[in-house]
Amino acid sequence: MASSPSQRFRHARPVDPTIGRKLWRNTAIGIGNLTAWASRKAGRGSGASIRGQVITRLYPMMFAELIAGRRIAAVSGTNGKTTTTHLLAAAAETAWGTRDVVTNADGANLREGIASALSQNVRAPVAILETDEQIVPDMITRGRPEVLVMLNFSRDQLDRHHEIASLGKKWRAALTDAGENGPTVVANIHDPLVTWSAEAARRVIWVDMGIGGWTADAALCPSCGAILEYDGDGSWNCPGCALGQHRADYAVRGDEVTGPDGARWTLDLQVPGRFNRGNATCALAAAIEMGIDPTVALAAMGTVRAPAGRFSIGRFGDNRARLLLAKNPAGWAESLLVMASDPVVLAIDSAIADGTDVSWLWDVEFERLAGRHVICTGPRAQDLAVRLSYAEVDHEVVDSLREAMARPYEGTVDVLATYTAFLNLCKMGGVEW
Amino acid sequence: MVNEPVKIVVVYQSLLGIYGDHGNGTVLTKRLVWRGIDAELVTVEPGRPVPDDGAVYLLGGGEDLAQIAAVRELKADGGLFRALDRGAVLFAVCAGYQICGRSFTVGDHDEVMEGLGLLDVTTRRGPRRAVGEILTRWERPDGSTSLITGFENHGGYTTLGPDARPFAQVELGVGNCGDGTEGAVQGRVIGSYPHGPNLPRNPALADHLLELALGTELGPLPNARISAELDELRRQRIAVARHSRNLAEDTRWLGERE
Ligand SMILES: [Zn+2]
Repeated sequence: MASSPSQRFRHARPVDPTIGRKLWRNTAIGIGNLTAWASRKAGRGSGASIRGQVITRLYPMMFAELIAGRRIAAVSGTNGKTTTTHLLAAAAETAWGTRDVVTNADGANLREGIASALSQNVRAPVAILETDEQIVPDMITRGRPEVLVMLNFSRDQLDRHHEIASLGKKWRAALTDAGENGPTVVANIHDPLVTWSAEAARRVIWVDMGIGGWTADAALCPSCGAILEYDGDGSWNCPGCALGQHRADYAVRGDEVTGPDGARWTLDLQVPGRFNRGNATCALAAAIEMGIDPTVALAAMGTVRAPAGRFSIGRFGDNRARLLLAKNPAGWAESLLVMASDPVVLAIDSAIADGTDVSWLWDVEFERLAGRHVICTGPRAQDLAVRLSYAEVDHEVVDSLREAMARPYEGTVDVLATYTAFLNLCKMGGVEW
Repeated sequence: MVNEPVKIVVVYQSLLGIYGDHGNGTVLTKRLVWRGIDAELVTVEPGRPVPDDGAVYLLGGGEDLAQIAAVRELKADGGLFRALDRGAVLFAVCAGYQICGRSFTVGDHDEVMEGLGLLDVTTRRGPRRAVGEILTRWERPDGSTSLITGFENHGGYTTLGPDARPFAQVELGVGNCGDGTEGAVQGRVIGSYPHGPNLPRNPALADHLLELALGTELGPLPNARISAELDELRRQRIAVARHSRNLAEDTRWLGERE
């Protein structure tokens, strides 16, 4: 960009506490860094999450203080927020330099995780932040983001998250309260709950992510409770009130993106799948809204390869495996479309981070894998095996992840996993981020 | 009539099917087809008529607003009631079980809603949400029993009136309201809390529903591999429920998101 950072960011300045508090804060961050280092040494991951816990415990106003005064783009939604954050962060870093941009690239998206990321660059005037759905209202109120990307709402481990409708209500209320100080929202037109929440925003950029809808979680109008009407092409409308699908400002078909005023661009991404082209379109719209040149943004997004390990290639002895992560039925449906190898490996866990209930296996159209051989692995491999039997998909169970990955495979094998299994695979396969 | 395929009807999948509940429909249909009986899985969405010539009807889990909409639509449509009058079987789980009763509550203020009145049960908000693996013992009409393994996730607690009898006795978990009973049976209507893919884990119950609807006894599944797979899944889930050192940590999770 033409303007120098100091000029561009003269209104964006992280809030400085008083000298005494600053000392206290810096000490907390120092101790947090030390703990993270020790945790890394002990081979327990990146240490980011322990750093977040320590600094927030020692200095409770860490999140609120570090989040204030920056130019923030927040990215939220059930699926795609990690990849979208990486795409947008790449654009921002290329435009303004890595020193002026901070992001939670590891996907730690709760208050502690965000505080941990910000503590590593307290002076950065720009923050690109993946934000958990539950934290969005707090982010809107305390962080006053410039842009908020709202991707989608779908069921995610319902044994924890009871009702997604109430989340949408909280987002809408926070946007209403923020009024003229609220963010510009970049919103997915195919999601009725996102649409209804976003309509409360000061300004909305509507995006057709080219995915149509995962409509299984959006039967009822979030505004009036009527049963929504869907067309074959995925467009929707409420027969009971004025809520309906908006005309898109940005739309993607294949790699072609159209924007306002007839603008056209071509995506050249390394992350696979149509859902990532939708994510990239949202990231592009957010980047342009923040003043980044679209050509710069597109080139930068094209360098993103494996956001927080997703789509990375792991090495397991002589095997190469592409590691895919899906956390819920909507994510599984999209990820199955990306899987190219035969056989494929599916790894199912039900630790707390995955959701202890695997009933969602029956919401995924595994019938799509018919004709291929599936290796079921992970602690809930047997639940998957039964599901595949009823889908009449050829399969076998290999309980241990390690054993499943030691099978002889020709070429790169695609492995799709739930969260805990994915982290284990990354560790085993030497994937770091 | 004789040559018509047996219809398994999943009712309002988009409203009451949020826990993969239509898996129950897949299981019933496949277990007929694998035995050489012509069967068809029909999914009816709100706004479309519910066929009244089905053999087994299935209702699944859903959120509060979906429960209200489903009751309204089912009453207006009438197809399900006609089918039950003709002798069809209804298997309703979770929120679907609750709406079959006389009344249930929704929302933060526990508004009382009238149910379908197919089961003599009432549901009110319980003291804490019941979430986790559940293990019950189901007694068949002939007195023989089987273990039922499932996953429950409900905030409503259900009490039975005199016209309904419990479907099963709780070994581990909460069930109806912590009184040791689980589910309810009244005529050919069965309601039960374990949601979603409950029939995959419990093939004997799946076959019982089919036998009840068809009025004939079904032989064993002519597919030894699947039967062995199902046995193994049951063994695993029953073992997890019974042998976890800490049920609260291993199979039940009652808090808010970390
Ligand atoms: Zn409406």
